[in-house]
Amino acid sequence: MSLSRRQFIRVGGATAAVAAATGCGKMGNPLAGLLETPGGSFRAPQSAEIDDVAHVLNRLTFGAAPGEYQRVRALAKDARDAAWAFIEEQLQPEKIEDTACNRLLSRYPALQAPLAEFFEYKERRLLDEMVLATIVRATHSQRQLYERMVEFWTDHFNIDPSKGDCRWLKAWDDREVIRKFALGGAVARPSQPVLKGVWDFVMDTGGERPAPSFKFPALLRASALSPAMLWYLDGRVNRKSGADEKPNENYARELLELHTLGVHGGYTQKDVMEVARCLTGWTVRGKNKFGKATVEFKKHAHDDGEKLVLGVRIPAGLGEQDLDRVLEIVGLHPSTCRHLATKLCRRFISDTPQTETISAVAKAFGDSGGDIRATLRALLATDEFWASRGTKFKRPFHFVVSALRATDARGRIGPAVVQYLERMGHVPFHYPTPDGYPEEPQPWLGTLLWRWNFAVALAEGRLDKDGPRLDEKDLRERAGSEEALVAHLLGRQPTVEELQACRESGAGPSLCLASPAFQMC
Amino acid sequence: MATVQPFLTGNGDQRQTLVVVFLRGGADGLNMVAPLQDDGYYQARPRIAIKAAEAVKLDGFYGLNPILRPLEKAWKDGALAIVHAAGSEDETRSHFEAQDLMEHGGLAAGGWLGRFLRSRANNVSGALSAVAVGRALPESLRGAPSATVMESFRDFALGGNSRRLAGPLENLYARFDSPLGRAARDTLAALDRIEKLRHTAYQPAHGAEYARDGFSQGLLQIARLIKARVGLEAASVDLGGWDSHLTQSRIMDPRMTELAAGLAAFYQDLGRDMDTVSVVVMTEFGRRVSENSAFGTDHGRGSVMFALGGGVKGGRVLGRWPTLKDEVLEGPGDLPVTTNYRDVLAPILQRHSPAANLRFVFPHHEFRPVPMFA
Repeated sequence: MSLSRRQFIRVGGATAAVAAATGCGKMGNPLAGLLETPGGSFRAPQSAEIDDVAHVLNRLTFGAAPGEYQRVRALAKDARDAAWAFIEEQLQPEKIEDTACNRLLSRYPALQAPLAEFFEYKERRLLDEMVLATIVRATHSQRQLYERMVEFWTDHFNIDPSKGDCRWLKAWDDREVIRKFALGGAVARPSQPVLKGVWDFVMDTGGERPAPSFKFPALLRASALSPAMLWYLDGRVNRKSGADEKPNENYARELLELHTLGVHGGYTQKDVMEVARCLTGWTVRGKNKFGKATVEFKKHAHDDGEKLVLGVRIPAGLGEQDLDRVLEIVGLHPSTCRHLATKLCRRFISDTPQTETISAVAKAFGDSGGDIRATLRALLATDEFWASRGTKFKRPFHFVVSALRATDARGRIGPAVVQYLERMGHVPFHYPTPDGYPEEPQPWLGTLLWRWNFAVALAEGRLDKDGPRLDEKDLRERAGSEEALVAHLLGRQPTVEELQACRESGAGPSLCLASPAFQMC
Repeated sequence: MATVQPFLTGNGDQRQTLVVVFLRGGADGLNMVAPLQDDGYYQARPRIAIKAAEAVKLDGFYGLNPILRPLEKAWKDGALAIVHAAGSEDETRSHFEAQDLMEHGGLAAGGWLGRFLRSRANNVSGALSAVAVGRALPESLRGAPSATVMESFRDFALGGNSRRLAGPLENLYARFDSPLGRAARDTLAALDRIEKLRHTAYQPAHGAEYARDGFSQGLLQIARLIKARVGLEAASVDLGGWDSHLTQSRIMDPRMTELAAGLAAFYQDLGRDMDTVSVVVMTEFGRRVSENSAFGTDHGRGSVMFALGGGVKGGRVLGRWPTLKDEVLEGPGDLPVTTNYRDVLAPILQRHSPAANLRFVFPHHEFRPVPMFA
């Protein structure tokens, strides 16, 4: 299997990111994403229960597209080995070819603008492009685990772009903080057209280069200095110029409570205030100022006295280095390891993960210095992960995208899909508070009406004129039979009741997507 | 004997509905509720002021524009309260900025109504907990746990094969005696109820008659949802077109006609149910005190807010009247805001959800709640 770089670029078009094809040979077909012709026939899972392959597709992706199960199952003789081969493939997103998805993303050029140029766009346009690009990527990217991690960090470092200059700056944060570090880095591309070509060329050589750190502490620092974060959590107005000026604690509190230690992570109100003091002086220029969106440290607004953070003394006079001292103290603190491990386990394993599981993941996180790939490997190696199949309730975004993927729905993702997410209260970038969209099922249980409606609308072609639509006949033919199609949609052989329900409904695919089994992963 | 209709998902204890009417374009409070006893009013508006003799007398001081006479009944019933010189802290006098700031509840992420719905202690929302009548979700509902833009009931129903889908779905979910199973059963009940709404002609109660314009029809749909007990907690409906820079009466009179007719019909239709339904009418800013050369008024600051039903102690104009003396007026000659809109909303939200964290709903605000219920 060989394909010259020239061919790649020609097929992908000028805007496509062409990642290294090297190393893909043993992992699958590097051409997979390039072919936009309607898919061929595919084999659905044969097992009565969700097997290892169906399980990793459920959990590490936004749902299996037709043919995906078959492709992954063929990676090894043993199902568990095949699942691991898929995991290893997904843990190196920079080696996964993604041209077809990138071509779709060329519809959203505003998102590629350099920082200061974002202000030339209407904020509504930026928001629309961000939302649509997020759905398109989740639906069409071959780098599925990467997209799942983007979703994870977007929640973890939540910024609602409706506040202040975040309207313009969240697009940068999404690109240069969240997406850059989401799965240990290396996928982001420079935004300047000239550099893009250079970057593509370098990436394509597949050469071993000492990479800058993309571990959690680097992500945390990027977020701390993200212009959008400085707006969202008021860091920009955290200053101490005079004796009676009190620091703004907003970011300091969320840094400890949400981003690192966790609410029971062992810090006190005093620690919050001390961290806030350390961060005084960091600010970002507003959109009406010269050098807008520039992040800067204002020495005169910094409290340069001595501080005590979580028992560690930070001497007076360090100025802007206070920030790095704080991040050193909290970035890999044992409570942070536990907090991050718990959140990852809740996202990928269970709403109530076992203590031993969390401990194993926390240890890997700490031992690796916050290496996201190493941490995920440890998580996926726990017994609990493999035992947890079919028990997580999909959040609405996951549900919608998995329905689009499972049915290979063709058509342009547009306002109608977004409106359904709105009804389910889960449009990307629309969560107001810094804790991010909830993980647990309870707040989402009221969304079934819209899930069912969405399933029907998808089948009846009522999602925009040129919107996504499932083609039942085509899917059935490709699956080979009605029963096989149901097995594909559910990730396992259907029960007698499920099959009967499909037949009674006269709308098999809609019924499957609306069924209890499809709400779970 | 009639059986008690169950409420839907998570709203078993939810008996209150808040309806927010936003008058977009900057509605002139002085032309709706006029300070008849303030000489400054007639001096500033020699040509467009409401004549004292024509006004609907409210108390010794204020009078209602005669076009708003349909609201007199609710006023006399004590169900309609007015807050004058109300508004926001925004000084840009820009429609966009002022609406945005007001709907967000300040420099905050998400809308105040969205945050309110998220803030309630029991954060379980039904599929129809928040509905916006119109084509787009207003910013105030941004971030709500569930928010539906509704143009008609058709938007709620499953597609053509819904009838055949409901039975099989019921069978599949019946096996789950879990929160998911219960949610599914609630949802099927909701669908059933909506189907009935779609296929029956609506007969408003108490002889109420809704006008045919979009605003009245929007309120009619909200009334139906409230009566159907589908768990509606918040509804939003816009009435635009208040930007009366020239020939004020030609612009405002039709809007006021719609506003008064719609609210009056809704009030009459709901009858006793109004005890648990609050309607709040707000606008992004009021208008310049002095009329301009084109018989209009330009962007200003303070305006009026109306609160109807929900147990509000009405028949009163609340809020401190700043007077219209030159030295009192703000900037280019605008009615100062003496009551922040949050202080009108806060007591109403509190009544709807005593456990709501108002500091979360309206961050950075020093509360001076208007005694709406005392």
